[in-house]
Amino acid sequence: MEEALLLWSLLAIPALAGAGSAALRPQKAMLAALIAGVGAWSAAAALACVLVFGRGPAETAFGWLRLDALSAYHLAVMALICFLSTCYAWPYFGEELRRGRLSSRQAGKFCLLWGGSISAMTLVLVSNNLGIMWVGVEATTLLTAFLICLHRSKPSLEATWKYILICSVGVGFAFMGTLLLAVSAKGVRTDPTDALLWTNLVAEAGKLDPIWVKAAFVFLLVGYGTKAGLAPMHNWLPDAHSQAPAPVSAVFSGFMLNAALYCVMRHVPVIEAAPGCEGFATGLLKVFGIFSILVAAAFIVFQRDLKRLLAYHSVEHIGIISLGLSLGGAGAFAALFHTLNHSLCKTLSFFAAGRLGQIFGTHDMEAMRGALKVSPLWGTGIFAGVLALIGVAPFALFMSEFQLVKAAADGGSAVSIILFLVGGSVVFLAALGHAIPLAWGDGGGREKQKAGAMELALVSLPLALLLVLGLWMPESLEAAITGAVGVLTGAGGAAGPPVWGAGG
Amino acid sequence: MPVFIEMLMIVLILLDVVLLGVSRLGAFVRAVAVQGVVLGALTLVANSGNLTLRIAALAAVSMAVKGFLFPVMLERAMRGAGVRREIEPFVSFVTSMAACIVMLGVSLFLGWRLPLPDGGAGMPLVVPAAILTMLTGLFILVTRKKAVTQVVGYLTFENGIYAFGVVAVGEVNAIIEFGVLLDVFVAVFAMGIAIYQINREFDHIDTDHLSMLKG
Repeated sequence: MEEALLLWSLLAIPALAGAGSAALRPQKAMLAALIAGVGAWSAAAALACVLVFGRGPAETAFGWLRLDALSAYHLAVMALICFLSTCYAWPYFGEELRRGRLSSRQAGKFCLLWGGSISAMTLVLVSNNLGIMWVGVEATTLLTAFLICLHRSKPSLEATWKYILICSVGVGFAFMGTLLLAVSAKGVRTDPTDALLWTNLVAEAGKLDPIWVKAAFVFLLVGYGTKAGLAPMHNWLPDAHSQAPAPVSAVFSGFMLNAALYCVMRHVPVIEAAPGCEGFATGLLKVFGIFSILVAAAFIVFQRDLKRLLAYHSVEHIGIISLGLSLGGAGAFAALFHTLNHSLCKTLSFFAAGRLGQIFGTHDMEAMRGALKVSPLWGTGIFAGVLALIGVAPFALFMSEFQLVKAAADGGSAVSIILFLVGGSVVFLAALGHAIPLAWGDGGGREKQKAGAMELALVSLPLALLLVLGLWMPESLEAAITGAVGVLTGAGGAAGPPVWGAGG
Repeated sequence: MPVFIEMLMIVLILLDVVLLGVSRLGAFVRAVAVQGVVLGALTLVANSGNLTLRIAALAAVSMAVKGFLFPVMLERAMRGAGVRREIEPFVSFVTSMAACIVMLGVSLFLGWRLPLPDGGAGMPLVVPAAILTMLTGLFILVTRKKAVTQVVGYLTFENGIYAFGVVAVGEVNAIIEFGVLLDVFVAVFAMGIAIYQINREFDHIDTDHLSMLKG
């Protein structure tokens, strides 16, 4: 009973909060109400995660809604990222308001779409039915599209158009994949209505038709991979990330990509357990993962725009997470830990890029030299963010990447390690080359900017978390990730034999 | 009723050829509308053995949305944007036709490699027709200039998926089917709004001019 209430309220609260705050006036009140609403939702999400990690999967609506360790872990990351980003909307749009660039209509639109997209992303996570999960992803695409062109301009409309079109087609591929999976399960179940329930598919994966399963995963990976930003389907990503207002970019990069990758993860245990398909899903994930790392590295070298630079970092890190997943066991553990670290770090970086962009009036890194002088707080934020992104110790991303390399070495995948290290080194040098002048230029004679308490908290909290996690892994987090890996590998899942065990 | 399903699949294939061959925008939009009506009929025929109210409703709604509502919306968007009535592809129509033949070959090959597990007897055209329709949609998306024609490409692509789903998968679940239909509807609606805004900002809807963001 309480599980049902909790799961349904997770879905309802953000949408209601968005709609409710859109009805308020003036803009400040809207943002405050939105922060309160998303805060309440984050608290509910945290409660749900505690329940799931303590007692096991929560289920309701005849098993259509289900929260297990894997989805609960993602929900926890999402709650953290969405709450921080919503708080960040306060100083960010506060500045826009001071400049008269945010009408109450725009603020209302923001609240409505923001709440709606959080609900849609929650739907992706809590759906046990793969069809409904697809509906959630497509709804996320459509709701977030008009957040990109909140400030209407030619480039932002161009980015919106590319985003709607490329992602709708991409997600269409994913739907075809879902249908192919349903065909592969034909004959396994007599009642077709619950054939797409993930729990049923995992339990009966051994009886699926392998040809259709393979075809399904190709479509699913291309489809959800488009939304996740895996190369070569990433073309929409730098445009959308660079044109959207900074809080939106932060959620795009910090969680929306992960939500799409989560959909791929959901299918991995089903595919791997199908007869004769062992190593098929992980093999493809590995190829796409490494390709994404290398493509992103090449584009990072030549970037001039700060937000586009960060967007290509997302492509790189989604590639790293996919590579980790493909290694199974310890690699999957590293990948899921990396998910949290990357999201935290990317949110911080986009926060800083957004505020610095407002201060300098541009995102061109040439023109933004001297960020540390002009705004010590956000200058520190962006520099530390980039350092963490490229994997400098002792930040947590170093730890998860180290674990990943170790898992790859134990599994004997020498080629993956070499390609990963090549990509990583190129990114390291190129990003450092961008970040040092950005932080230590002369500032162009701009005045030093003061920052409020909220801004201080928004920089120090993610940074502190990244540092702490880099040095010490709390037991509860370790248990949570282990539980999630269990779902992925079939060991701790609802049913079915263990499929792609530790090592690789 | 495999015979009727096969006949509808042939109509679907012919409509793909029409979509790739016509040069007038009006005929182009009408072709995709007819495709929507064919899919509605397909929903009824494929489930003729166990025709329930739910399936009839799904057929009616998808026919109304794809065969009537979308074309009207696209017509209005075109009129509002004052676009020229020709399609203006990046490639010639001869190339489009040649591509059509290649895509048909690919679809037939894939259909031969992916035989439907059960109930697929006597329906060898289902998978090829669905794949050809998807490929046609993708081809239109990348080779036609206008935003409106890209929306038609997306719709064609979706039609291919729908055709596959309704015959090969059969009954999934009403909630999913309606959820999907709603999503497609909202997607087209969102594209319509985006076209309107692009038109106001740029004074045209040629997407090859949308090229500011690179690298």
